[in-house]
Amino acid sequence: MIVVEGLRKDFRALTAVHDMSFTVGDGEIFGLLGPNGAGKTTTVRMLAGLIAPTAGQATVNGHPLGDQTQEIRAISGILTESPGLHEKLTARQNLAYYGRLYGLRGSRLRDAVNRYLGVVEMSAHADRRVAGFSKGMRQKIAIARALLHEPEVIYLDEPTSGLDPSAAKTVRDFVATLRTLGRSIVVCTHNLDEAERLCDRIGVMRGTLLRVDTPAGLRRHGRAPTVRVELNGARGPESFLDRLAELPFVTGVKAADSTLVVELADPAHDTPDLVAALVGAGARVTAVAEDAPTLEEAYLSLVGEHGERDTDR
Amino acid sequence: MRLGYAWAVFGKEWRDLLSNRLLLGAVAFPALIFAAIPTGLVAWIQVHNLDPNQLGQIQQYIANFPNVPAKLAAQGFIVTNFMAYFLLIPAMVPMAIATQSVIGEKVARSLEPQLATPLEVPELLAGKTLAAALPAVTATWLVFVGYGLVNGAIADERLTRFVFSDVWLVAMATLVPLICLFSVLLGIVVSSRVSDPRTAQQIGGFVVLPIIAVAIAQFFGGQATFTMQQVLIGDLLVAGLIGLALLIGAWAFDRESILTRLA
Repeated sequence: MIVVEGLRKDFRALTAVHDMSFTVGDGEIFGLLGPNGAGKTTTVRMLAGLIAPTAGQATVNGHPLGDQTQEIRAISGILTESPGLHEKLTARQNLAYYGRLYGLRGSRLRDAVNRYLGVVEMSAHADRRVAGFSKGMRQKIAIARALLHEPEVIYLDEPTSGLDPSAAKTVRDFVATLRTLGRSIVVCTHNLDEAERLCDRIGVMRGTLLRVDTPAGLRRHGRAPTVRVELNGARGPESFLDRLAELPFVTGVKAADSTLVVELADPAHDTPDLVAALVGAGARVTAVAEDAPTLEEAYLSLVGEHGERDTDR
Repeated sequence: MRLGYAWAVFGKEWRDLLSNRLLLGAVAFPALIFAAIPTGLVAWIQVHNLDPNQLGQIQQYIANFPNVPAKLAAQGFIVTNFMAYFLLIPAMVPMAIATQSVIGEKVARSLEPQLATPLEVPELLAGKTLAAALPAVTATWLVFVGYGLVNGAIADERLTRFVFSDVWLVAMATLVPLICLFSVLLGIVVSSRVSDPRTAQQIGGFVVLPIIAVAIAQFFGGQATFTMQQVLIGDLLVAGLIGLALLIGAWAFDRESILTRLA
């Protein structure tokens, strides 16, 4: 479990992140979503014990940052923004080297290397030099490197960057299985679709956390869910506005051409009642479709509300 | 310092070095050149049965080798005088390896994943230092032994004794590893602040200037080779410089500044 309270990082006069507070539970995938320079990488670097926070505190599986940074590094696995592999070494040699740095030796090391080469489907290329690998192949080896020592806490910076759709799905599925093993996982991403599919909760950040919520909760932030009702008949949609305004579950309504755009508190529950009320009022309904807000709308709304940052950390 | 971790870094660096033919060439080439030039001169004197009286300026240095024939004294002077340049091998070679290693990792961004492990910075540097110093020390020692044996075989076995003198055995055992260590540390300090291997090597290249200056001063001073006292003073001087480089290195190569200064 990761507990973060008021974390802040200054680089001389530049404040990269400030007032960061959140928790990541065991078996939870927490997404950090934000534009370039939002401070995602800085946050992960602090939590992984790579750089010291200027202020605030955090514990990682009970180990306080600062006092037990070595212990934190030993139980953390990190997929860095850039794979950062050793080009002249083979995939196997790269993994074996990192396994040693995490304290694996002998048959435990060999077994872990072979297992994770298999997990990322790179066994056939194990003894080839990394220099000849594609971006996707490098990313797979970097993922294997982050997981080799069975870390309790995992930080993944753009985990599917450079992967083809099939490989990206393999990685996402594997990350999901890590959740079932009780690992705490932090995923930094720009990929909204990935964040929505993978994460239990998402923190949208720009220098600090702007909002933390489930993907569904975040979507609601953008705008209220709406239902589009297509009408066909002599009466125009404007003639139903008064009737709809009387309905308690309708929070807003607009009419355009032959369409009514109705805001509902809970479309899944309220749509049948809405249609019944319209038909009862004489409307000829030809189509009803939910127009759910997207995570992208919510994200752009949140990030846009908090203005531009000119940092790139 | 946990030796297992430093050893793991050393192993990785060593594999990296062995797969880098260009860098291996940079290790071997200067060592062979510094040995080949005087050996060629000795062979030339031997083959042409040269009269030392024709050697002009060298005559004044022949007095360093009393009780031996003039031709052997001339060869002895050439063999021993050039040995000062052997100190350039531990100065130049590890510098090239260390700068390539650190800057190569900065450019490849492979330092961050290493620093994210429980590996401590001193363990990382110890592994890198050993990997950069070992080829240079080994190359210097091999060339030293080969140089003594080959010159003895070409001309006169007494040349071997001139090479394997007490002074040079002590210099090889102490001064060469110390210069190597200083060169590596300087390479690491410089590399932590710049992002281009050539710039690092040019800045670090100043380390060879004092050695060249000593070699030239020795020649014009009429001295065939170093004295034991000079070697020991050299040891102390370089040891002091290593202490200074360690202090600067600890400041320059801290985990955070490496990550935030990445190219």
